[in-house]
Amino acid sequence: MSYPPQPNNPYGQQPPPYPPQAPPPGYSQQQYQQSYQATQVGMPAPQLPPPGGQFGAPLLQAPGGEGPQVWDPHSLPADDNVNPYCFSVDLNGAYYLQKGKMIAYYGEMRFSGIGRGVLDRVLEQNFNSPLHASDWVVAEGRGKLLLADRAYDLNSYDLEDGNLTVRSGNLLAFEPSLRLKQSIIPGFLTLIGTGKFVAASNGPVHFVEPPIRVDPQALVGWADCPAPCHHYDHSYLHGVLGGIRHLTGIGGASGEEHQYEFIGAGQVLMQSSEALMAERSVGVVGEQSGVPHQQPAQAVPGLGNLGNLGDLGRRFGL
Amino acid sequence: MAFTRINNKMVSAQIVPGQRVLSQRGSMLGYTGEVTFQPNLMGGQGGVMSMIGRRVANEDTPLMTVEGHGTVMFGHGGHHVHVIDLVGDTLYVEADRLLAFEGSLQQSTMFMGQQGGLMGVVRGQVTGQGLFTTQLSGKGAVAVMAHGGVVELPISPGLPVHVDPQAYVAHRGQVTNKLSSALGWRDMIGRGSGEAFQLELSGQGMVYVQASEVKL
Repeated sequence: MSYPPQPNNPYGQQPPPYPPQAPPPGYSQQQYQQSYQATQVGMPAPQLPPPGGQFGAPLLQAPGGEGPQVWDPHSLPADDNVNPYCFSVDLNGAYYLQKGKMIAYYGEMRFSGIGRGVLDRVLEQNFNSPLHASDWVVAEGRGKLLLADRAYDLNSYDLEDGNLTVRSGNLLAFEPSLRLKQSIIPGFLTLIGTGKFVAASNGPVHFVEPPIRVDPQALVGWADCPAPCHHYDHSYLHGVLGGIRHLTGIGGASGEEHQYEFIGAGQVLMQSSEALMAERSVGVVGEQSGVPHQQPAQAVPGLGNLGNLGDLGRRFGL
Repeated sequence: MAFTRINNKMVSAQIVPGQRVLSQRGSMLGYTGEVTFQPNLMGGQGGVMSMIGRRVANEDTPLMTVEGHGTVMFGHGGHHVHVIDLVGDTLYVEADRLLAFEGSLQQSTMFMGQQGGLMGVVRGQVTGQGLFTTQLSGKGAVAVMAHGGVVELPISPGLPVHVDPQAYVAHRGQVTNKLSSALGWRDMIGRGSGEAFQLELSGQGMVYVQASEVKL
């Protein structure tokens, strides 16, 4: 079957009008005939008033719509959101997408791992992040590709000769005209160049401008501004009471000792904290001098073994 | 009003010197200005006895005090956030649903047995509210979390509201609640409707219900 299907005649026959037209009670014959004729010649049916109920009262309708909208290859938006949780890519060529984010497609396309196709050899020049290669596939062909990710809000962003760094688990797909690199902040990817990409966030993305300090979990990414620095704040551990708190762990930690601090000009993208989202494995940069690498999991420096008493300590107020 | 809604999952709060905001630990998303986050020793609720009681019942929620001047954004776990303005009335809410609230509110702990004795305790266990619930009263704003969006259902005399206990979020006003059960022989043989227990709220006030049956 060729793609795209021929307009007006996608399935070789005229679809019957749905719901089947029957004159609702209290409906004039003339209007009915008009709408009947209109559907016969393939023109859109005129907007009918909502059919009346048994006593002429309007039937209950869900607020804000008539129910699910039916899409076909032509009515699906091209490179735009279908709804807040689903994005439609008008594929013509190649597109990088993260594994498992495709939910449906129209047309002819092939999904292959990075570095396995012929075209891939060329494309791989844009993929400068070998540690992530196993998380990504290339979609090649023509058609409409639908992307979604755990009912998270999806957004597409256009970069024009710019750079944007985004959390690796939140990046869904990007055009091959962009180049993908690893950020020096572990777990983030940087896109450089011109093109479009799709990213997910838990709740709509909120843009803020530096200077700002952001909880690491709430950070989706940043654009144009310099890479963030760590900000540690545990001033409440100073002084007499703070000393006791530090030594005994009584009172616990606020959980807000560590933030990423952004300065300079640019944009910071934030979401609601994502305790529910599993981190994508990003591999580990080999240990060399001068290359930042992931520390083994370790508490905030200076907080010692605070909270190590576990549940028992918490129950007795320690 | 201290809380401004950013989107359905985030709120921001203006912090000015002298007015503190209490929030759940770890729920800060970002801030500008000079703001400090101090863990609250007592859990913030009631006296020492209530603190110990909550800890033994494993129902304490760690809070922190936010002070300074600046703007702080709050959100937690991708849950929906609903801002409730209190004007001298009382809000009853489960402590782990509290995202943040103004320090001007009076906070106390209510033992479920105080509302209906033993039945209150049973109700607390069935609804997942546990043995204690938190009361906030006074004038100020509260941000509560819910899984899914929140609907407000008014309760007026003679028009009680029945709520699925798992979807119950909070209520305010002069409201008595009781657990009504519709257990029948079908439930005994495992053919129940799945709606055997309902929370009946009557009186004058408002109940907040989430569009999900997932407990936080």
